[in-house]
Amino acid sequence: MLMEVRGVSLRFGGVVALDDVSFDIAKGEIRAIIGPNGAGKSSMLNVINGFYRPQQGDIWYRGQKRESGKPHKIAGEGIARTFQNIALFEGMSALDNIMCGRLTLVRSGFWKQLLWWGPAEREEFEHRERVEHIIDFLEIQAIRKTPVGQLPYGLQKRVELGRALASEPTLLLLDEPMAGMNNEEKEDMCRFVLDVNEELGTTIVLIEHDMGVVMDIADRVVVMDHGQLIADGIPAEIMHNQDVIDAYLGVAH
Amino acid sequence: MQQLLYAAEVSLNGLTTGVLYSLVALGYVLIFKSSGVFNYSQGVMVLFAALTLVGLQRGQVPFAHLWTAMFGTHTYFFGWTLAPAIAVILTLGIMVLLAILVERLILKHLVNQHPIILFMATIGLAYFIEGFGDLLWGSEVKKLDIGLPVGISETVEAWTAEWFGYGFFIDRLDLFAGLVAAVLVGLLTLLLRYSQLGRTLRAVADDHQAALSVGISLRLVWVFVWSAAGFVALVAGIMWGAKSGVQFSLSLIALKALPVLMLGGFTSIRGAIVGGLIIGVGEKLFDFLAGPIIGGATENWFAYVLALAFLMFRPQGLFGEKIIERV
Repeated sequence: MLMEVRGVSLRFGGVVALDDVSFDIAKGEIRAIIGPNGAGKSSMLNVINGFYRPQQGDIWYRGQKRESGKPHKIAGEGIARTFQNIALFEGMSALDNIMCGRLTLVRSGFWKQLLWWGPAEREEFEHRERVEHIIDFLEIQAIRKTPVGQLPYGLQKRVELGRALASEPTLLLLDEPMAGMNNEEKEDMCRFVLDVNEELGTTIVLIEHDMGVVMDIADRVVVMDHGQLIADGIPAEIMHNQDVIDAYLGVAH
Repeated sequence: MQQLLYAAEVSLNGLTTGVLYSLVALGYVLIFKSSGVFNYSQGVMVLFAALTLVGLQRGQVPFAHLWTAMFGTHTYFFGWTLAPAIAVILTLGIMVLLAILVERLILKHLVNQHPIILFMATIGLAYFIEGFGDLLWGSEVKKLDIGLPVGISETVEAWTAEWFGYGFFIDRLDLFAGLVAAVLVGLLTLLLRYSQLGRTLRAVADDHQAALSVGISLRLVWVFVWSAAGFVALVAGIMWGAKSGVQFSLSLIALKALPVLMLGGFTSIRGAIVGGLIIGVGEKLFDFLAGPIIGGATENWFAYVLALAFLMFRPQGLFGEKIIERV
């Protein structure tokens, strides 16, 4: 198991966002988290990448219990993410945004960068080359110099995915990567997610509302409702799980 | 003709004053560009850096007045003097220490707060540093002398006299300040634009959460940025101090950096330089031309009015980033 979430509870004042949630993430799989609005999916992702610290429960990553919960350290351990409402660096070009994704891999220290010539310069070129691969892969060559604030929504999502990929993550967290996209854009995004998973072997956790997408690409699915985990299994099982159907479609009480 | 050459000389002197404004403005830009905070205390940091440099160099006893009042020590000097280079390095160390303290005691507690809150915090900080500097080194006007070139440059005078038949009076110190500013700006621009370090800083200014998610430590970045601003403050403090003595009016002169920033744009290093030069030349030239007619002392307000007029046409400044929101 790459990651285990054990008995995680998260409260904001009186609001219980996560209630004793446990599940695991196997290496190399695509793990979907689904559930109605307000089910706690994004909170779960925020716990995994360290933005939130659960009051109870532990996160085990690569067989070790997580001790400190600093988000920038967790990013350094190979966990990258995208955001539900896109969090790009608006003032920068697409290229610079993706280059930022490589920050955790930068080896030249402060003084070397100040000097620039020599190691820092060579390293910059190395990073640039890797980033150009990502740009090719995501088919965004044409917009690499465009300030991201000016890009349409779908492309912004793609740049954000690029930034997350740039860190060559072990675990990639995608918070509604296809929200607000038309069918064509969704298909592209699905293809990218599958390619990343297959070619790079990246483990992916994604939150998604489009059930069709989830059933197509996910290996296993976690279903949440009101902060609780109500089902966990392969898509075929989940589709026929009565609890899930009730929670998702709403049931007459 | 004579009049024209005289105007040219006035402009030239304006340029050199402008360079000094730019140096102060640069500190504001650094912090604003890379952490989104408008640091009101930058001007006082210039003063504090200069005070500390002079104090260390002359071997002043820190808190001498306080000790005297409490214990009647009456010792104001240790009786040694430090080499300028050593004093500069020590001062730089103290500016870094100040940066660390600012992060620990103030910024850390204000992550994700609205910019106006951070702005208010820096106003408080400004007056604290001003009072603290006073307490630490005493409030009398001090002479700053670390062996920089001073006096009128005879080379320039002789050269211009030969060419135009009119010798320009340019202070050597001003020429030196121009050189220092050029080097500093060149380095900062390159660093911010082309290195991963620069990207890190811009990332933090743009979005705290996204910055964290790509592995940036906000605290480290803030310490770095404030240290860099402290360094720029020290450079500006040396230049201003050598020119007009180290005194508390320095922190007021530093406020001239505000119209410079409005003109040049708050996020642009280029803007700080060009804005400084425009304001420097503009106010000198305006005073020269219109001063006799409307009764002098236009230098106090001209810069602000110019910036105000400019805002009407280009609110983001000459080189500032125009934020276009997609709706």
